[in-house]
Amino acid sequence: MNFPAELKYSKDHEWVMMDGGVAVIGITDFAQDALGDVVFVNLPQEGDEVGMGEAFGDVESVKAVSDLNSPVSGTVCAVNEAALDSPESLNSDPYGTWLIKVQDLGDTEELMDAEAYKAFCETVA
Amino acid sequence: MSELKRTVLYQAHVDAGADMVDFGGWDMPVQYPSGIIAEHLFTRSECSLFDVSHMGRLIVGGPDRLKFLQKVLTNDASALEIGRAQYTIIPAEDGSAVDDAYLYRFTDDRCLLVINAANIEKDKEWLLPIAEGFDCFVSDISGETGSIAVQGPRSRDMLSSLKGGEAIASMKRNDILSLTLEGRSMMISRTGYTGEPLGYEVFASNEDTVWLWGKLLEMGAKPAGLGARDTLRMEASMPLYGHEMGLDADGKPMPIYAVFLAKFAVSFAEGKEDMIGYEALAKQHEAFLKILEGDHSLAADLPRRIQPITLLDRGVIRAGMPVFKDGEQVGWVTSGTMIPYHVIEGEGKDAVFTGSTGKRAIGAAYMDSTIAEGDKVEVEVRGRRLNAVVSKTHLKNSKIPYAIPVING
Repeated sequence: MNFPAELKYSKDHEWVMMDGGVAVIGITDFAQDALGDVVFVNLPQEGDEVGMGEAFGDVESVKAVSDLNSPVSGTVCAVNEAALDSPESLNSDPYGTWLIKVQDLGDTEELMDAEAYKAFCETVA
Repeated sequence: MSELKRTVLYQAHVDAGADMVDFGGWDMPVQYPSGIIAEHLFTRSECSLFDVSHMGRLIVGGPDRLKFLQKVLTNDASALEIGRAQYTIIPAEDGSAVDDAYLYRFTDDRCLLVINAANIEKDKEWLLPIAEGFDCFVSDISGETGSIAVQGPRSRDMLSSLKGGEAIASMKRNDILSLTLEGRSMMISRTGYTGEPLGYEVFASNEDTVWLWGKLLEMGAKPAGLGARDTLRMEASMPLYGHEMGLDADGKPMPIYAVFLAKFAVSFAEGKEDMIGYEALAKQHEAFLKILEGDHSLAADLPRRIQPITLLDRGVIRAGMPVFKDGEQVGWVTSGTMIPYHVIEGEGKDAVFTGSTGKRAIGAAYMDSTIAEGDKVEVEVRGRRLNAVVSKTHLKNSKIPYAIPVING
């Protein structure tokens, strides 16, 4: 299981990369492993508002559908079309496959660093 | 919570890195590290092994066994010759299903009834009191022996190349054979739950089950879990109790003839007069025949049927989602997910795998009987209505050795 040190992590198993005033959001290696084969992703559109702790989309595996909860509130400024077209890349490259970018950031959930998130995963595994 | 039961292959699953889940009280592999999609595709192009040791198994014997089976099963057990198996359903008085099952006649004096693992106790509670009225016995041998389903285009060559397995090559669908493979005695049937034109189920002692699992892996087969078992049966439009049989999304029992396969599993031949639910089933049957001709005058006896559906918009359909036509709800999805397929050109021996794969959101829905193949419907997927089409089939499997995906819409 991979936990890149340069990223921050949420309790809902999303990773966040702060890029200036923009939050880049994806799902973690732990999340993709728990989901199994990802077959479909629903994402918001550019310009949509997202709220902290609220669902901004969902990700479907063969087995089940899971909500994607936003760790930040703000405005969606980019959506990764490549993730929509080939959702299996969330399994093969979870940290290389961002889902949305959010700007005009308001609230931000308290995020964990890699070490804390790794420990968190061990408690829920 | 009681301890989960383990099949004789439990350690093999754990060693292979499988994700294990509670399935009907058994600790079973849902998928191996390769994942459900890879396991599904490998079954269609090569050969997969499924641990089916957890399935319920009842032995029925005694002088009146045939009379008993004719009463509690929908198919004609008297037509089942030694060395043959048949798909059958355990009916309730109202013409709904208690369970579906496979009946194997290995020997002259006893039959094996294989039932769903999750229904073992329920089925026994249903069957045993009825058996008391007959000079026969029903004994539960679930878990006493192992069983492996060997499914896919290479299954025949693999099994028949084992020493003593030559006769497997000429087995027909639903044939059963008792034989000695590499010095080990086994029972093998040409049956399965994947829709593969070539597939077998092997029954063996615990020790021989472990041996065969390892041997077939050495020969190039791969293990597949319950996840792929479900997507494969869904693609083949085979019913699963609790989805296409039993209660509908409203909690009402679904008639047996709602499932198209009932056509081959219910018999009204001489000797079936005492079958439980005979009257209800006869009415459903009459309505079924009329509906197939486009005549809905008897639809009150079979108001809804299960048909394959294909999602046309982007998304995934899942069990329980409501289905609409012209703005009115006409039923529910009974099974559905995103299912992968090989892009294949041609069929039979001339089939060519192009090397590319696709995936499609397909499944089955329990809908008003007036709905026919080709009709456009809508499925409500988490608040949005998505377009779907009622399809004849998702898979063509009439020619050996490959099941060919039928892409609708």
